Amino acid sequence: MTSNVVGLFHDPESALTAAGQLKGAGFESLEIMSPVPIHGVEEVLGKKKSVIKNFTFMGALIGGISGFALAAGTAIAWPHPVGGRPIITMPPFLIITYELTILFGILATVLGFFISSRLPAFRNRVYVPESAVDKFVVTAPCDDAEHFKRAEAILNDAGAEQVREIGGSDL
Amino acid sequence: MHRPMTTETFKLGYNDIHDDVIRSIVKTGPKYYIALATAGGTTLLCFFFPWFYQLYYGIGAAGMNHPGVWGTYLASFIFWIGLSHSGTLLSCVLHLTNSSWRKAMYRSAEAMTLFSLVVAATYVMVHVGRPWFIHWAVPYPNQMELWPNFRSPLMFDVMAIATYITGSTIFIYMGSIPDFAAVRDRTSGWRNTMYTLLSLGWRGTDKEWHRLHWAYTFLAVLIIPLAVSVHSIVSWDFAMSIVPSLHQTIFAPYFVVGAIYSGTAGIVTVMFVLRKSMGFEQYITKLHFDNLGKLLLVLSLIWTYINGVELFTAWYSGTSEEYEALNYKLFGYYSWLYWEMIIFCAVLPMLMFSTRFRTSFVPMLILSIAINIGMYTERFLIIATSLSRQYLPDAWGTYVPSPVEISIMLGSFALFTTLFLVFVKIFPSVSMYEVKETMATPKMEPAAPAAGSPA
Amino acid sequence: MSLFSRFMDGWRKYRKPGYYDEFDYHWTMTIDLDKCTGCEACVTACQAENNIPIVGEEEIAKGREMQWIRVERYWEGEYPNAKLSFIPMMCQHCDAAPCETVCPVGATYHNQDGLNTQIYNRCIGTRACAVYCPYEVRYFNYYDHEWDSPLEQQLNPEVTVRGKGVMEKCTFCIQRIREAKDVAKDDDRRRVQDGDVQPACVQSCPSKALVFGDRKDTESQVYQSMNDPRNYRVLDELNTDSSVFYLKKVDA
Ligand code: SF4
Ligand code: SF4
Repeated sequence: MTSNVVGLFHDPESALTAAGQLKGAGFESLEIMSPVPIHGVEEVLGKKKSVIKNFTFMGALIGGISGFALAAGTAIAWPHPVGGRPIITMPPFLIITYELTILFGILATVLGFFISSRLPAFRNRVYVPESAVDKFVVTAPCDDAEHFKRAEAILNDAGAEQVREIGGSDL
Repeated sequence: MHRPMTTETFKLGYNDIHDDVIRSIVKTGPKYYIALATAGGTTLLCFFFPWFYQLYYGIGAAGMNHPGVWGTYLASFIFWIGLSHSGTLLSCVLHLTNSSWRKAMYRSAEAMTLFSLVVAATYVMVHVGRPWFIHWAVPYPNQMELWPNFRSPLMFDVMAIATYITGSTIFIYMGSIPDFAAVRDRTSGWRNTMYTLLSLGWRGTDKEWHRLHWAYTFLAVLIIPLAVSVHSIVSWDFAMSIVPSLHQTIFAPYFVVGAIYSGTAGIVTVMFVLRKSMGFEQYITKLHFDNLGKLLLVLSLIWTYINGVELFTAWYSGTSEEYEALNYKLFGYYSWLYWEMIIFCAVLPMLMFSTRFRTSFVPMLILSIAINIGMYTERFLIIATSLSRQYLPDAWGTYVPSPVEISIMLGSFALFTTLFLVFVKIFPSVSMYEVKETMATPKMEPAAPAAGSPA
Repeated sequence: MSLFSRFMDGWRKYRKPGYYDEFDYHWTMTIDLDKCTGCEACVTACQAENNIPIVGEEEIAKGREMQWIRVERYWEGEYPNAKLSFIPMMCQHCDAAPCETVCPVGATYHNQDGLNTQIYNRCIGTRACAVYCPYEVRYFNYYDHEWDSPLEQQLNPEVTVRGKGVMEKCTFCIQRIREAKDVAKDDDRRRVQDGDVQPACVQSCPSKALVFGDRKDTESQVYQSMNDPRNYRVLDELNTDSSVFYLKKVDA
């Protein structure tokens, strides 16, 4: 039987301290939920690497190539003499390339964001509505009651306003 | 990173912000409905009705004629594209430079971008002669194997504006996800369903914040060059022609500066209205007006300079057609509009050198509206004066807008207002999490039961 | 290797500007301004040949006249010594046409005869071509035009009538060129010979000021005439490379 321990704090510093202590005590998959982005999480929970920049880069690259391919390819598919210009006209096609580079870059960034942050997620997950208002929440999964007790003690020591237990494994 | 914006907002706790913003969404007074009905009715009457009339009878319902084949429709199109140029662009720049004063206003500024773009896109349909075939300008595989002509500046427009609409929609949406989540928890019924879907199950975990931050930053990096390119491309619709006084290399920077200029003035207007009508006095403060005023002043100086350069190059070229175009612009049929534009966009903004002017709300509102009137005139003049005086004197003529055009122009403002009114009831029009972030501590009153916490 | 060389061949082919020397014909017109009397017979002929709508007084007052060819009048000097000159102006069928590049849907393009064509069905009515054309010879259908009762009887069946929201302009009477080519094809597959085809304006010109023909045929009358020392092209400095040559009026 697993459940999650959830501690509510009213300032980011004590939430971070608590998270650090939990981690030190061997708890894993810690999460901090907060109404605002908090700085200094990385020092406590370890560095995060995001894959988004790879998505952005690849998207932009694909966009650039397909932009030029679109303009040049359609021009060749039906050669359409216009204004005495070559069929593949560089300056205008580079503008199309530029725009599609950005368009694909943007779309890929969004895709990267969704994939790397596991959104959209409409299933039930550990969540404390107060964390969207003004509470900083530390949560960790616990294997059994004894485990939970230990976590509760740590959180209370760190100054939690409230400690709750949420859900079983189905959460 | 907790930098106070002003001592005024300092008085608020996280909770108060939360309540204020959510109240602005769910509490809807009769005033709102009256406003919405008025705006919606005006849109129908002044925008859609004349437009349908024009669709039925042909574009002749507008005042365009032989040399003046482009008219206020295109001027309005540029105007709305220009107005869109401050929201998202400014927001991106301020995000990257980490300026905290943007936070209270950027959501509505971005909404302005989005809706201006929607209105501008509608104007494309109003402008063309056969809007029912407008899809031919979109590259899609078809049976006839006919593709659009990618060499055309108008085609650049299609691509750029499609990208820009996509980009700014995504940008405003990404920035609102945490706020949607916050609203989700406080609402019930259909609103709850809507916000649950919109917030995508956001929980505000450290990981989500981290990803959002990076995604947002990359979007900002992509959108800045995009916004600059969009208005450059709009200017190329003109500059790529060989019409005297349109065929100018300075047009791209000129249009970009003009766009940001009128967009910033538009933000001042919208901020003023939002502040008064939604009770956001605590969030939108003198500081914002002061900063926006400084920005406007700088932009006005650049704009004036470029305008001077344009006149000088035309005069210095010494060719008869440029001379005639210049002469016509300064002293011809539309000259009173030209001087009006100079007064509204170059002379009056000098008032903003005074700090007292910048920090007083009503004068700033009046000035911002004057600037936008001037900027609309600028766009109109660029088209009307240049087309009236081209190479062959036999084909000279004047263009005067028809009542249908004027009605559609006024109606477009009602359309914008309607869209904006719908927006304020769906999106939290002040970014909650970012305003919260700028404040010192989550809770100001220590009187709240702190459950014996040492902190 | 073969793929690469094929790619390079294609690249060279499609990057080549000014392909109009590869066209089958290169239709050209010359207008001798010395012979032009300003009688406007060409205007009337064009109106009849090409089903150009009669827009009516009010529309003319609004500046929405429709005439694919117009005779421009320029006065020089003050009254006693005033001089009047005429210059017929129609689409110059520019080889480097600014109007073609700007059309987003490719409704106007260059065909194999070196003609600047306007595809009415494809036109979406952005009117950008009319702005880009420095000669101001493109006319827009602001309404669906109607022909009053007996007039609809004289419509040319060879030419479409254009609906609202469509741009139109001089086609060098493409329907006549088409017909001449058909006849030539039936007739032993020979090329269209000089004199086989005459646009309406050329045909109706009483003083024979207008000459039309294929520039590729060095024997043709138009070739001789375009090499007249008096020849010039209107707005040549814009590099539109137009196909209508004017022969200067020489004052005695
Ligand atoms: S004269 Fe005008 S319409 Fe004709 S080809 Fe040249 S630019 Fe185009
Ligand atoms: S060539 Fe034909 S279409 Fe062109 S002006 Fe002459 S009569 Fe009209």
